[in-house]
Amino acid sequence: MLSIKNLHASVEGKEILKGINLEIKAGEVHAIMGPNGSGKSTLAQVLAGNDAFEVTSGSVTMNDEDLLEKETEERARDGVFLAFQYPVEIPGVSNLQFMRTSVNAMRHHRGEPEMNAAEFMKLAREISKQVDLDPAFLKRGVNEGFSGGEKKRNEIMQALMLQPKLAILDETDSGLDIDALKVVSDGVNALRAEDRAILMVTHYQRLLDHIVPDFVHVLADGKIVKSGGRELALELEDRGYAWLGIKDDETAASSALSNSAN
Amino acid sequence: MKPAPTLLSTAFLHPAGQALPEPLLALRKQRGAALVDMPMPTRKTENWKYSSKYLKLTDEMATSLPATGKTGSALAVPGYKVVFINGVVMPEASEYPDLDNIRIQRFGDLSDAEASELVERLDSTLDAKAVQFAGLNTARFEDGLVIRLKPDAVLDQPLFIIHEVTADSSGSAFPRIFVDAGRNSQLTLVEEYISSGQEAVFVNSVTEFTLAEGANVTNIRLSMGGENVQHIGATGVTQQRSSRFESHCVGFGGPLRRHDLRVRLEGKGAECKLNGVVVTQSTQHYDNHTTIEHVAPNCDSEETYRNIAADKSHAVFNGRIHIHPDAQKSNANMSNKNLLLSTGAEIDTKPELEIYADDVKCAHGATIGQLDEESLFYLVSRGIGRREANVLLTMAFINELVAQIPVEAVRDTVQARLNQFFDQTFQEA
Ligand SMILES: Nc1ncnc2c1ncn2[C@@H]1O[C@H](COP(=O)(O)OP(=O)(O)OP(=O)(O)O)[C@@H](O)[C@H]1O
Ligand SMILES: [Mg+2]
Repeated sequence: MLSIKNLHASVEGKEILKGINLEIKAGEVHAIMGPNGSGKSTLAQVLAGNDAFEVTSGSVTMNDEDLLEKETEERARDGVFLAFQYPVEIPGVSNLQFMRTSVNAMRHHRGEPEMNAAEFMKLAREISKQVDLDPAFLKRGVNEGFSGGEKKRNEIMQALMLQPKLAILDETDSGLDIDALKVVSDGVNALRAEDRAILMVTHYQRLLDHIVPDFVHVLADGKIVKSGGRELALELEDRGYAWLGIKDDETAASSALSNSAN
Repeated sequence: MKPAPTLLSTAFLHPAGQALPEPLLALRKQRGAALVDMPMPTRKTENWKYSSKYLKLTDEMATSLPATGKTGSALAVPGYKVVFINGVVMPEASEYPDLDNIRIQRFGDLSDAEASELVERLDSTLDAKAVQFAGLNTARFEDGLVIRLKPDAVLDQPLFIIHEVTADSSGSAFPRIFVDAGRNSQLTLVEEYISSGQEAVFVNSVTEFTLAEGANVTNIRLSMGGENVQHIGATGVTQQRSSRFESHCVGFGGPLRRHDLRVRLEGKGAECKLNGVVVTQSTQHYDNHTTIEHVAPNCDSEETYRNIAADKSHAVFNGRIHIHPDAQKSNANMSNKNLLLSTGAEIDTKPELEIYADDVKCAHGATIGQLDEESLFYLVSRGIGRREANVLLTMAFINELVAQIPVEAVRDTVQARLNQFFDQTFQEA
């Protein structure tokens, strides 16, 4: 489904991604781990089409189409979904209006009729229940004043609503309490499907207890330095990143890992 | 190039229309005489600093536009209606009640005694030095509307005043309104400035409100005129004890648009709420100057203005709050936020606080910014098109103010005009 070849990207002249290669097939769940600042979010943002990052070489295809050629909104309509590490607050645009506009933009793209307010409301209520968000949140500004955990649940809510082909989850598990982690994991597991791929960035092995990945990759200094099965995550938890020869930022990463062990 | 005139051309000092009671004719004449040396604003005139270059009055514009036509009568409004065409009331196009406790009269229909009483009060809400052009209106009005609410009178529906200029030839119009809101009376007055025709015209309007104790007045002012209309308008308000004034000004740009809004809180416990939205595009201009005078103690003022400037347009906001020495326990809040939709647009904002009392709460803030890239990316990453994402974020900037306009039909008019603006400003990527 997704094929990333020798992807290089930079921001403000500084190279962040230094040759990423990754193949993801439909139905698979891939986890990306790695120290702070290694480029995980950059990869996620580049896939979603954030033009703050410049792709300097390499290619990305999704279902054999050139993804990098497409505008962000086209990618989204073709099924790319990014759950942001830092979801943006947009006061003045209600969550409801936002999601309905989004759902209808997708439907329009597929040649389906728009959802009217009542139909949409019904769907939104159901899904907000599924991620344990009070429907009152729908009336508030997009992410406005949401707690960290509420923002993450709101991202999963949108993923469930939009049913993407490729869901990229950037630290959707960070900052969640134990119950919220369960809710979010259940949400992600509900997304698992034969025709859908999931790419999730995480620092925590504990997420992978709930969502068992098919593959785990370690991203360090803009490259994937190691790939393996889920047992790789356990090994990282035990040993940190140092044994992989990763020098900078291990402290932050291993402290994050040991936090998760507690 | 001809140098800009330093004085108001005397061509502007010849009023037309004699169908007014003698006291009003005398007032007009007296004001006209006082304006013979009226300096034209220049860049050096402090309150015209950013706007004088847009003011281009020619002698052809000095002639009053003919008081005929009835385009405005076609407008359906959910309430009472008075149609002015070129500054003159069109009774046949107007529909309003004639009640014992609410008198709505043309200046021309006043008795000499009533006119004398009005003369005493006209211009009383506006400081002639600060609002130079209000005096010109008094020197030139050919008609006007006086609305008097007796104590406890409540007008049951909004009163719409449609101010239309028919610009089939070059000329000017001087609409005038005076509202005398008696003790505990209530009124919602909607003023809509529109235009037809293409010739260059000048509109110089003045609306005054005097609110007696406990009166409650809402004024909605829509400035919708065309690309050929230079408009200088003023609204003056004086408020007695415990009265409440609420204003919603929505303005779309033009070659020159200037609105001075001045509120004097003269009685203890009076409060005012002033909301403003300005939208400019192409090479348009709009300038809002507001002044709130806290004269008496325990008064509240709350002011919220938003400017949106696209293309190469220019918006100006000057908000002055003056807290007098006796105005202890004043509560004044002013917020002005500005959105530039293009690098060629300009917005000048200046909050001015003068505080002479010590026990006051006064907060103000002004910001200028652009649409947030991160927010845009978030929206488009959910499949929302660029155009729609821009519209959502721009609307988000003014939503709250549009939603607060208390008359649905006005909100619809504003939204329709905004949609037009969005169509012209934002394209699909
Ligand atoms: N807009 C930007 N301007 C400058 N530098 C940037 C920008 N965005 C990212 N970077 C830099 O790129 C590098 C990679 O950042 P990225 O957010 O991809 O890391 P990450 O692996 O997601 O880290 P974390 O685990 O902390 O989320 C960092 O050094 C970061 O400072
Ligand atoms: Mg990150």
